[in-house]
Amino acid sequence: MKLKVLSLIALLAGAASGAQAEGQLKIGTEGAYPPWSMADANGAVTGFDADVGNMLCTKLAMECVFVVQAFDGLIPALQAKQFDIIISGMSITADRKKEINFSIGYAELANKVVVAKDSDLAGITEIPALLAALDGHSVGVQAGTTHAHFMEKLAPTATLKSYATLDEMQIDLANGRVDAGFADVSALQSFLDKPEGANFQFVDVNIISTFDATLGEGVGVGIRQDDTDLKAKIDTALCELIADGSMKASSEKWFNMDISRPCQ
Amino acid sequence: MELIQLAVPVLLKGLWMTLSLTAISVTIGFNLGLGLAIMRGSDKAWVSGFARYYSIAFRGTPLLVQIFLIYYGLGQIRFVHDVPALWWVVSEGSRCAVLALALNTAAYTSEILRGGLVAVPAGLTEAAKACGMSRAMRFRRIEFPLAIRQALPAYGNELVLMVKGTSLASTITVLEITGYAKRLMSQTFAIFEVFAIAGVLYLALNLVLIGVIRLVERRLMRHTGPAPQTRPVAIPQAS
Amino acid sequence: MEFGLLQVWEGGWIGAILRGAAVTIGVGVASMIFGLIIGTICGLIKWRAVFGLSHLVDLYTSVIRGVPELLIIYLLFFGSVEFVTKIATVFGFAELANAGYAFFITVAAISAISGAYSTEVIRGALAAIPKGHIEAAVALGLPSRRIFARIIAPQMLRIAFPGINNVWQTTIKDTALVSVVGLQELMRTAFIGAGSTHNPLIFYTIAALVYLMITLISQVGFNKVEAVLSPRKGA
Repeated sequence: MKLKVLSLIALLAGAASGAQAEGQLKIGTEGAYPPWSMADANGAVTGFDADVGNMLCTKLAMECVFVVQAFDGLIPALQAKQFDIIISGMSITADRKKEINFSIGYAELANKVVVAKDSDLAGITEIPALLAALDGHSVGVQAGTTHAHFMEKLAPTATLKSYATLDEMQIDLANGRVDAGFADVSALQSFLDKPEGANFQFVDVNIISTFDATLGEGVGVGIRQDDTDLKAKIDTALCELIADGSMKASSEKWFNMDISRPCQ
Repeated sequence: MELIQLAVPVLLKGLWMTLSLTAISVTIGFNLGLGLAIMRGSDKAWVSGFARYYSIAFRGTPLLVQIFLIYYGLGQIRFVHDVPALWWVVSEGSRCAVLALALNTAAYTSEILRGGLVAVPAGLTEAAKACGMSRAMRFRRIEFPLAIRQALPAYGNELVLMVKGTSLASTITVLEITGYAKRLMSQTFAIFEVFAIAGVLYLALNLVLIGVIRLVERRLMRHTGPAPQTRPVAIPQAS
Repeated sequence: MEFGLLQVWEGGWIGAILRGAAVTIGVGVASMIFGLIIGTICGLIKWRAVFGLSHLVDLYTSVIRGVPELLIIYLLFFGSVEFVTKIATVFGFAELANAGYAFFITVAAISAISGAYSTEVIRGALAAIPKGHIEAAVALGLPSRRIFARIIAPQMLRIAFPGINNVWQTTIKDTALVSVVGLQELMRTAFIGAGSTHNPLIFYTIAALVYLMITLISQVGFNKVEAVLSPRKGA
C-alpha cells in the first residue's frame, strides 16, 4: 500500500513537472509579459526572454526547460531551486542583489505611464510634474517589479494597485478601474495596439533607469548566489551574443528597436 | 527585530481592511443565508429548488474562482458598466471581495441555519400555532431563537473561515493583511518572517473571535447549565 | 460569448484545462491520503490525551485552522526549501523533491491543512465510540493492536465518514489556492488563459463548472460508500 501511494505520487509529480535529466537548464519566466515572455496553452514560451534563453542554452550546450511562475514569486522560487536561472525581463537592482546574483545587464528599455486620452495626466511632459500629478490617482503596476518599487518610493500619495500579471492590469485599465498604468514601453505599446487600448495614450515622459536607482541597471539573468560557475559561463555567453549581434537582431525582432546593452 | 518594526505597522494598516471586509460581508451574508434557509423550507418547488442549487453552486466551487469570476468576469460584461449601481460594486476590488464573500458565506450559512430550523421540535411550533401566533411571530419568537442556539457552534466555525477567506481579496488588488504582506515580501524578501507575523495577526484575530462566540454561546445556553465533561479513554499499551 | 468559446477551443485550452483538472485531482487525492494519515495519528494522540504530544497537536490544529490557507501556502512554498529538502531526504525521496518541487510542496501544504481538519473529525469519531465496547474488549484480554483493528478502527471510520467527506470537499477546493505559487493545476490554467486571451469571464466560468463537476461527482461516490457503511441499512 505504501509503495503504491509512493509510486502514485512519483507518477503525478512526474506528470506535473517533467522528469529531471542531466544537461537541462531550467529557466524561470513569467509567461504573461509580451513581448518579453508569453506562454501558450501548452506551456510553450515565446518572446525575447525565450530567445535569450534558447541562445544561452545553445552556447552552453544544454537543453532549455521553461518554468512559468508569477513575477513576484520568481526570486523566492529561484532560491527554492524550482529552476536554475531567471530570464524574465528582470532589472538588476540593489535590493534584488541582496537575494540573488545577476549576470551582466544585456538589455534596457525605457518606462512610460499610460492613461486614458481624456485624463488630466495626458498632457504632462516632465517626470516631477507627472509624479506630483499622480497624487490621488490610482496607478496600476505589476507586483514585485521595479515599476512597483519606483511608485512606492516616488509617488507615495498615489493609490498603488498591484497586479500579479500585466494582463490583469490592462483588463483593469480598459475597465476604468485604475487611472494610470506604469510599465516598460514595449509592454504598454502592445496594450495601446489592442482594440481595448484604443482610448489610451502614453504620457509623453520617458522614465529611464538613470532617473532613480529603484529602476535598476538594465535587465540581467537572475542566478543563485552560490552558482558562481554558472554565472561566469552565462556572462561569457551573453557577451558573445552581444558581440556577434544576435542580441541586437532578436531585440529588433520583438521590440522593433535595438535594446541590447554593450557587454561590460 | 528591525524587520518587526518595519512589518508590524504596515500589516496593522491591513488589519482594518480585513476587519471591514469580514464585518460587512458577514452582515450581508447572514441575512441572505437566513433568507435562503427559509426558502429551503418552502412548499413551492422552484423556491426551495433555487435555494438548494444556489447552495450547491457556491459550496461546490472554490472561493478564489468566485472572486475572480466577479472581479474580472463581471467587469468584462458591457451591461455591468452601463448600470451605475452595478458598476459601483464591480469597479472596486474591495467591494467585489465583499460581494463574493457575502454570496459565499450565504450558502454555508443557509445550510447551518437550515440544520437548526429542522431541529426545532415540531411540538413547539404546533403549540405556538395553537396559541394563535402568526407565521411571522412563530418564526421570530420560537423557531429562529431555537435554531440559532443549535447553529451557533457551526456558525462560529464559518465566521473563522470568513476571516481567513478575506485573505483572497489580496489577489484582486485589495490591500488587507495578506496584500500588505505580499508587498513587504517583494520589498524585503524576508518571506518567512513577514508571513509568520501576518499569520500571528490572523491567529490573534480568530482567537478573539472564538472567545466572543464562546461567550455568546454560554449566554444563550445558560438555561442548560455547564456541559458534561468528557474524559479521555484509556487503553493498555501493546506489550 | 460564442466567439469566446471558439477562442477557447482553437487555442488548445480545452486540453490544457483537462490536464489542469487532472493535476487538481492528483493533488487533492494525494493530500487527502496524507491528511488522513496525519489526522488519524493526531486524532489518536488527542483522544488518548498523550501527555505533551496532545498539546503539540492542539497547537498544530489551532494554527492551521486560524491562519488563512493562502498564507500557509506562501510560507511553505517560499520559506521552506532547506527544510523540505531535508525531510524529503530523510524519507528517501530526495530525487522526487528535486523533480517535482512544486507538486511536492503543494501536496505538503494541502496535506497539512487537510490533516488539521481530519484530526478534529477523527478525534470526534473516536470520542463517539461507546466506551463499553472498548472496556469489553479489554476485559476479554484482547491485545491493544487487535482492539484497534477490530473495534476502534471500523467504528471510527463509519462515524467519521460524513466528516471525512466534508474535509475532502474543502481539500479539493483548497487546491485552487496553489495556483498563486505556480503549479499548473486547473485554476492556474484558467488564470493563464484569462490573461492571454483577455477573456476572463469564459475561463473562470469553465473553471467553476469543472470544480463543480469534481465536487458533485465525488459527492455521489461518498454518498454510495456512506450508504454501504451505515449499519442501520434496511433495518
